[in-house]
Amino acid sequence: MKKLIRFVFKLVRRVITIGVVAFVLTFGIYMSNAENKLIYDVVRPFLTKHYDKQARDRRI
Amino acid sequence: MKEKIISFIDKKLQRFDPVWLAENGLGGQRTRYRDDGSGIARYREWRGVEDTFQDYVAWLKNVGYMGAMVAKDPVKVMKGIWEYRWMGSFLGSFAFVDRIYEGYRGRELDIANIHGNAIVRILTLRIGLILHNDKRLGGGEMTDRMIGLDETIPPLFTAGFPTLNAEPMQTMPEFVVCDVDQHLDPYYIDVAESYGLAPDVCSRCSAETGVAIDDAFPIFGKLVLSTNQPCNASEATSMFQRRRFRQKGIEDYPFVFAMQHNTKNGNDYSREELRQAIQKIEEVYDVKYDWNALFEKAKNMNHQNQIELEKWEIFATPFSPLSGINESLYKLVEWALVNGHDEYFNEIDDKVIGIMRQAVRDQYQPYKGKTRHRAFLWGPSAMYYTDFPTWAQNCWGIDIVLNMDSTMGHNMINTEDPEQALTDLAKFSEKGVMRHHAVGGWDNVNAVWEWASRLNCDMVICNDNVACKGMNGVHALLEEQAADLGFDFLFLPHDLEDCRTIPRKEIRKAVNDYMTIVKGEEPLDATLVDFDDAEAW
Repeated sequence: MKKLIRFVFKLVRRVITIGVVAFVLTFGIYMSNAENKLIYDVVRPFLTKHYDKQARDRRI
Repeated sequence: MKEKIISFIDKKLQRFDPVWLAENGLGGQRTRYRDDGSGIARYREWRGVEDTFQDYVAWLKNVGYMGAMVAKDPVKVMKGIWEYRWMGSFLGSFAFVDRIYEGYRGRELDIANIHGNAIVRILTLRIGLILHNDKRLGGGEMTDRMIGLDETIPPLFTAGFPTLNAEPMQTMPEFVVCDVDQHLDPYYIDVAESYGLAPDVCSRCSAETGVAIDDAFPIFGKLVLSTNQPCNASEATSMFQRRRFRQKGIEDYPFVFAMQHNTKNGNDYSREELRQAIQKIEEVYDVKYDWNALFEKAKNMNHQNQIELEKWEIFATPFSPLSGINESLYKLVEWALVNGHDEYFNEIDDKVIGIMRQAVRDQYQPYKGKTRHRAFLWGPSAMYYTDFPTWAQNCWGIDIVLNMDSTMGHNMINTEDPEQALTDLAKFSEKGVMRHHAVGGWDNVNAVWEWASRLNCDMVICNDNVACKGMNGVHALLEEQAADLGFDFLFLPHDLEDCRTIPRKEIRKAVNDYMTIVKGEEPLDATLVDFDDAEAW
């Protein structure tokens, strides 16, 4: 019984820890607007360079 | 206790709240943006504890929808991003959601996030489906059971083919993505013009042509239904798109509506066109039209329209927490893309009308009671400035009560008699996006005054697409009528999908000039009057 209670406590603690870490991480990304900065400053310029190099078949 | 803690935190952090900053003359919405014209905020809007947390949860849901789309078929999604320039533009979706709901609080934000999540959900589902079945990317199990539709054809009638899936061809590569990224369509417009085509046509038709020439349409299905789009320049773009589809082995069939659609003859003509389009699909896909399947989805559409009619009653009061882009973008997606096919949207409607009814009972004051003018937005809006209504409210207290396109097809569809259903569907389709008021005779255009009066508006803002030759002819007539009827009235010049001709800043200047010179009013948020967002998505 004691073992079970200890296990449940351990599990609850782990779930809470993961929840808190996930919240801090995602809320940090949300408030700092990190995903938009990354997309605007890094991802899109990289993709635009790639799109500009594409050879498109424009014969219609 | 909980309320005391929240109130304490709100007070401590209010100096980060742009609405509070504007109220106290210490800054405003633009204070948190980078000053490089990128439209990227240094940090997200602090709206107080409860509203910020609610917005964070809605953002997480959107992350979840996008993650689910990628997880379902990561290879095709990555291939799609690598292949299509327009897929790269969809990466701006998070910033797009932020800017259209900027400054929203309380019940306005509740509804905005419900709507925002529903829009992201349906778009990610549909993009995932298209990429998964795109022949260019390898194809999928639905590839040969999909039908391409011109996006101005309401897809409700295709519910009678439950084993097939109809997708609007232009919505993802050209139309809705222009809402997200103002710099995408100029690329396709340049492709069309560098091909030697006239540069003075409607930029939407030009952009669609550019997508066709650039070979950037996803490839699926055996048949595309093209149409006479509801404006000039459309015949040429249909012709160029048809050539590209035929090259890819996809047959096309012109599904043409009556342009004079207030007459019985016109309606009869459209009904027969609809009947023939159904026959064509039966023939190409070797399937039989299932009226019961249509009736099931038509019930969804009728439910949506019943709620829509009630919403219009609430819009006429000063208590509606639903207005502006929150109203019109959701309506456009729900009407033109979903069109009765997805019951989930009926649940969203039920939820939202509940919030609106409660707002009327509570005599709720939206936008913290800061609205000074109630405006009807007439004519097709600039696709590259979707957040214009949000700006108008935040800067000048102009609440866009309703948008012209939101008045489209609201007749009920008979759900028992196939012949009557066909007649109703024809009428419904004739009153589709833009067709309802932008064409079909003077009465349709002139209905603006009736709508503005009915919704208790004191202002009419008329979108002026500078490349739309049809509407250029009615300028003076509208101005005269506005003066006679006593409405505040202004034209908002724009070039629909080409942000270079009349940039967002110029659009704002038209309103700024009217509000300062004609009305002599002071802005609610001085940081929003003049700013640079030329490089923003």
